[in-house]
Amino acid sequence: MKKESLTIAILLAVIVSTSTIKAQMYEQPILISSAGQSADVKLVKMLAQRQQLEANTVLMAKASDLEGIKTLLIVPGFSSKGLGAAGVSQQEEYDRVEALIKVAKDLKIPIITVHIGGNVRRKGQSDAFNTLIADNSKGMIVVRQADEDGFFSDLAKKNNIPLTLVDKIVEVGEPMGNLFK
Amino acid sequence: MKNLKIYFIILLSVLFSLDVAAQSITPSGKNGMVATAHPLATEAALEILKSGGNAIDAAVAAAFTIGVVEPDGSGIGGGGGMVIYLKETGESFFINYYGRSSENALSIGFDSKRDARTTKAIGVPGTVGGLTMAHKKFGTLPLEKIMEPAIRYASNGFPVDKTLAGLILDHIETVGADPGTAAIFTDDGFPKMEGDIIVQKELAEVLRTIAKKGRNGFYRGHYANQFIETIQERGGVLTKKDFATYKPKFGEPLKGTYRGHDILAANLPESGITLIQGLNMIENYDLRSSGHFSESAKTFHMMAETSKIMYADRFEYVGDPDFIDVPVDVLISKEYARSRYNIINPDKLDPPTYRETIAGDPFGFNKSGMDVSVPDLEMQGGHTTHLSVVDKDGNAVALTQTLGLFFGSAQAISGVLFNCSMTNYSYSSKTANILDNGKQCRSSITPTILLKDRNPFLVIGSPGAGRIIGTLFELIINVIDFDMDVAKANLAPRFYCIKHDDFLHMESGIKPEVRTELEKMGHTIKVYEGIDLFFGGAQMIYVDPETGIYYGSADRRRGGIAKGY
Repeated sequence: MKKESLTIAILLAVIVSTSTIKAQMYEQPILISSAGQSADVKLVKMLAQRQQLEANTVLMAKASDLEGIKTLLIVPGFSSKGLGAAGVSQQEEYDRVEALIKVAKDLKIPIITVHIGGNVRRKGQSDAFNTLIADNSKGMIVVRQADEDGFFSDLAKKNNIPLTLVDKIVEVGEPMGNLFK
Repeated sequence: MKNLKIYFIILLSVLFSLDVAAQSITPSGKNGMVATAHPLATEAALEILKSGGNAIDAAVAAAFTIGVVEPDGSGIGGGGGMVIYLKETGESFFINYYGRSSENALSIGFDSKRDARTTKAIGVPGTVGGLTMAHKKFGTLPLEKIMEPAIRYASNGFPVDKTLAGLILDHIETVGADPGTAAIFTDDGFPKMEGDIIVQKELAEVLRTIAKKGRNGFYRGHYANQFIETIQERGGVLTKKDFATYKPKFGEPLKGTYRGHDILAANLPESGITLIQGLNMIENYDLRSSGHFSESAKTFHMMAETSKIMYADRFEYVGDPDFIDVPVDVLISKEYARSRYNIINPDKLDPPTYRETIAGDPFGFNKSGMDVSVPDLEMQGGHTTHLSVVDKDGNAVALTQTLGLFFGSAQAISGVLFNCSMTNYSYSSKTANILDNGKQCRSSITPTILLKDRNPFLVIGSPGAGRIIGTLFELIINVIDFDMDVAKANLAPRFYCIKHDDFLHMESGIKPEVRTELEKMGHTIKVYEGIDLFFGGAQMIYVDPETGIYYGSADRRRGGIAKGY
């Protein structure tokens, strides 16, 4: 029994290590945008700056903001405060993001999900945005707390995309930077 | 030692989850009941009740503790108010400790948008004055014992819950700007997350000093000097005199009645006056036969129109009575309420936009030159906190306290996070709430106790900025008119309707057909999915008039908990 558990654990470890996002796939410049208007996007901007990435941040990005962009990082997470400040409804925000994704795909710009909000940006109104982005991403970087129920792991499996899990927000920077090295 | 601390934190986390799970059953008790916005504050109050303290001891303990473990909503750098009812004598009291502006407030040219998160926004904090006054007048246990839980959690730390984690994340730029505040809420520039530990050693030292010296530990001496020096260095104008001379106001609550219940509510310039006016108005309408507002557009419309009118009067007439003449007797009279109720058109929104609502004329009040067209910042956010306590003898406390906006001014000095009460004044000319030196701002906090035959019936209050009054209006109606138990009443969908807005805000639990009907009546609706922190976080205690059993409810919109024994 013990032996079986050990084997499963080793197997799982191999699966996790081989399913993280691989480097050198992505190019700069980057557009960082929000899906749900949470303040999380500002932290991702800060992480990108620390990694010295060539990134532009537009909270309410439109198709025209994709001009010259090589990679789109979307930070999903619903915030009623953020939507209120932006003066848009949840549905309007969803429609905007959906349209942005469509144009990005038409332009063959890869999308990466960067989810840093942990439990705060899970369930409720957030998961509609989380799912929308994950279903259209080439890879995901997620703070582990948001995957306690396997939500992002399941999305990664379903969409056959790599998932990198980290423990802390500050740890998102390194795998994010590595995408472009 | 380190291991002990880890065990302590793990134990707290386990207690959190057990407590939250237990809330599926309405907590009840006969010896005491506490409802606060945080499990640790509830535990602190229970600890005091079980040690023989009375409701005032327990409320003071919970109030100091909640300022530590829910630091976004209140704390010793803020202010508040509490209504106290002593069952044996039938006496009731109101301690107004909201604080006031500096003696030099007019000199800084305060701009709410520009200065909200600076030391210029800080008014004289009243919490320490109010809590120590309550303890001195009515407490039975030593202050050091009462403050022990708050000191413990500040010193040893407490785990961040989901509500606080969300607020830190949403306000990361605000809490990250001042190094003292960032040290509390962030790690290396990034927000603390759910489960992370917040330790506030500096705050613990300030609390220890207060426990030892009482109010003088805060308003005079070492810490007062440190606060004032830093505030002035950073552009604020509070003075040592402002601190040393601050005294909370002690008096009676504002009194009214609603369908056979006595109301004891926060007195001016807090907002019991508006709650009583609204209840007086809707008393003219047969709510029970019209059906609950979540299922009846007719009821909803009548309540929304009442709410809109009561808020219109509030904006026009309510302010600090030491500075302006407030027509209190008229505003809380049944006759005036009837005259205001009679202007409601039961079939449609009238006038056709909320903003066109005209305030009443309770005194033939001279309104020439009055300008109430600018909504106050107090209408934003969901900040503040409320707690309710009833002890074994039936004494009750309803206590609401605040920092102003979430995280107040976001300026922490010696670990104390200070308020931004300067944002709560009006700055357009000649309004009732216009800033003056040494004046208290109008506040929407409304701690309230309802009595039935001299016994506490409902002890209630909520955070939620401008929505507080409307939320309490709806909750009291849920309990009295629709016989809901406190848990059901608290979970029922809410709405918010005022003069200074373009929308009728509501939670999605309101039936779609009700929404459609309201739109036909001329309302413009904004729906919030599920239950939303925007509509407050009420903490309620209901005392069954027949059995005397206490039932508590903490709002699921916030991470609160009620517990009795």
